[in-house]
Amino acid sequence: MDKPIMSAGPHIHSKDNSRRIMLDVILALLPACVAAVWIFGMKALWILLTCCLAAVFAEALFCVITRKSLTVSDLSAVVTGLLLGLNLSTNVPLWQCAVGSVFAIVVVKCLFGGLGRNFANPAITARIFMLLAFSAVAGGAMPQGVDAVSSATPLELLGKGATEELPSLLDMFLGLRGGAIGETCVLALILGGGYLILRKVIRWQVPAIFIGTVFVLSLIFEGSFQLALYQTLGGGLFLGAIFMATDYASTPLSLRAKMLFALGCGILTVVIRQFFSYPEGVSFSILCMNILSPYLERLTRVKPLGGV
Amino acid sequence: MKRTISSLKLPHLKSTAPMAAVRMPLPKEVLIPCSPMTSHSGVHSEPVVQVGDHVTVGQLIAAEKDRGSSNIHASVSGTVKAIEPYMSGGRKATAIRIESDGKMEKCPDLKLPEPANLDEFLQCVRQSGVVGLGGAAYPVWAKLSAAQKAHIQTILINGAECEPFITSDHRLMLEHGDLIQKGIELLKKYLGSEEYIIGIEKNKPDAIQALKERFRDDPAVKIMELGSVYPQGAKQVLLYNATGKVVEKGQRMASLGVLIINVSSLAKMAEYFVTGMPMVERIITVEGSAVKEPKNLIVPIGVSVRDVVEACGGLKEEPGKIIFGGAMMGKTQESLDSVILKATNAVVIMNQKDAQKAEPTPCIHCGRCVSVCPLGLNPVAFSNAMELPEGMDAQRAAILQKEQVNVCMECGCCSYVCPAHRPLAENNTAARGWIRNWEKAQKEGGK
Repeated sequence: MDKPIMSAGPHIHSKDNSRRIMLDVILALLPACVAAVWIFGMKALWILLTCCLAAVFAEALFCVITRKSLTVSDLSAVVTGLLLGLNLSTNVPLWQCAVGSVFAIVVVKCLFGGLGRNFANPAITARIFMLLAFSAVAGGAMPQGVDAVSSATPLELLGKGATEELPSLLDMFLGLRGGAIGETCVLALILGGGYLILRKVIRWQVPAIFIGTVFVLSLIFEGSFQLALYQTLGGGLFLGAIFMATDYASTPLSLRAKMLFALGCGILTVVIRQFFSYPEGVSFSILCMNILSPYLERLTRVKPLGGV
Repeated sequence: MKRTISSLKLPHLKSTAPMAAVRMPLPKEVLIPCSPMTSHSGVHSEPVVQVGDHVTVGQLIAAEKDRGSSNIHASVSGTVKAIEPYMSGGRKATAIRIESDGKMEKCPDLKLPEPANLDEFLQCVRQSGVVGLGGAAYPVWAKLSAAQKAHIQTILINGAECEPFITSDHRLMLEHGDLIQKGIELLKKYLGSEEYIIGIEKNKPDAIQALKERFRDDPAVKIMELGSVYPQGAKQVLLYNATGKVVEKGQRMASLGVLIINVSSLAKMAEYFVTGMPMVERIITVEGSAVKEPKNLIVPIGVSVRDVVEACGGLKEEPGKIIFGGAMMGKTQESLDSVILKATNAVVIMNQKDAQKAEPTPCIHCGRCVSVCPLGLNPVAFSNAMELPEGMDAQRAAILQKEQVNVCMECGCCSYVCPAHRPLAENNTAARGWIRNWEKAQKEGGK
């Protein structure tokens, strides 16, 4: 007979594991992926596949070169690849997609120690890197079959004051407008977000506060309910608020700090959109708040029960 | 400020709840360690019998010596075969092996205690050898002696039994309401406390009903229904949920005018005043995937797990893990030769499959350990601090002190929820030990 195992408690464990959480995120992203292909055509599929494969290969290669055990089976590279792909538009060449993915995995994630140790969101940082390196990321690409007057995204139109060229609000909700392939279909993003909240992978407070703050501040700046709705549905707000501002590694641990994080993201997004030269501010705001995460944690600390 | 205490919804695994406690067949021998709980270091009692002596049930065989130790009594009648070392959880104790003569002859010297005042009452409780049966094993008389210094207004009787698997307190509340009532009467008489709150988790509606019925006409006794969440029965958690009070750092609970006593300890104490028999037996729950017929058993102290398992139809599978206590905070045992101690409320024997723990993977920074901690601590910070390299002791100490690892009660919630299966609770224990030693070394170095 084998000796009974001696170990510290607890002797039971919840059924969750890291891989299952990553799988949940992938499942939650599927509606957005399907919508992307449906709205933007097969090019969207090639972008998503390229990003995922490049991310997985980059991580595998990094592990082999640095002689670490292979970590691709935790599925986090797939999540990063998918998120980056959804953040790009169809006029980004595939080789640029691959370069972005490799940057996200190697520079932003692996070099900082791998899973859970990166202080910035890999997909968002890679998107900003691509914006600076290749300029075109989100704008310019229109849904297939849409005979648009201009190839500008709704936020670009809003920035120019060309409100008469805006698509209808319903089209905004369904995603029939220009932009990155995964950010336009708000319906699909909400479906995925709902699933993640139900599965307790993310806290509902984060997207709710982020989106709510953007809406309220836009209402104040734009002075119009309708334009505020365009601001809220436009750009990458829902994609960012549901899937990027809830990223584990690059956001604070406690709920209080997470809520503050979301508030900061919302404020920064509107400030960038209203006052800076970029029409879109979600990526920048999340990256800024990523850097502030440790301070938010410190700011929101409460006294432990029976402690000081 | 009102705070919400985080908690866990755990599987209850309390299949033995409807099973009345039955007396197990008399074992051939018992091995009684002279320590109420062998995982407590330095707490031992002194044997007062010799090899070859004939002993009877309830006879004193080891007297309290160190602070925190208790009187130990023979749980069967028979002959002292050996006084030998006993190892459990890496701690050594002396143990007295008694071969049963099968007669269960009662010690003739026992008589009903009749204390006249608080001091005599405490001495009687001291004689009884009753310790905290919830797991702490601290002598009940020592706990009650707080009443000599401060007026205890509220007695909080802990019947939460929040740990998965265990139902021994549940059965006690159902079957021995009379002893609980007697216990409260004794405390009323000698301690003079005004308020008695029995806290019970909602998953025991029959026990709540039975005790409500029993104390219907007693306005001093309140049955408090508590949420069935873990760790509802933990001292700080129960205190806060029942009274809204918190034992602050450096404070003693008695200074709040509150005293918490486990429902089984109270009943066992009362039993001594009813029968004159000191603590020689207790109810335990025998559970787990390797046990053929899980049961609640009345067992003599010092009986081996092997005999207990035999009384439950034996094992249906190879034991993978033997646990004294519940699924969360229970302590693993080396073998079936381990013996039941006074504070053992359950024996859980898992099969090989259930006993396996998943390999830890890297922390994904999800924050679940932080959001689940009942005390509001940051377990992952302790882990990160302990992973700092050797030369960074000062930084490690700074983090552990700032994040107050010493407050941790090792309830295990953080480990339970960790999706990366990291041994957070175990690490907290190590961190508490490390910072204690470090602080001691600093103090000595400063002199």
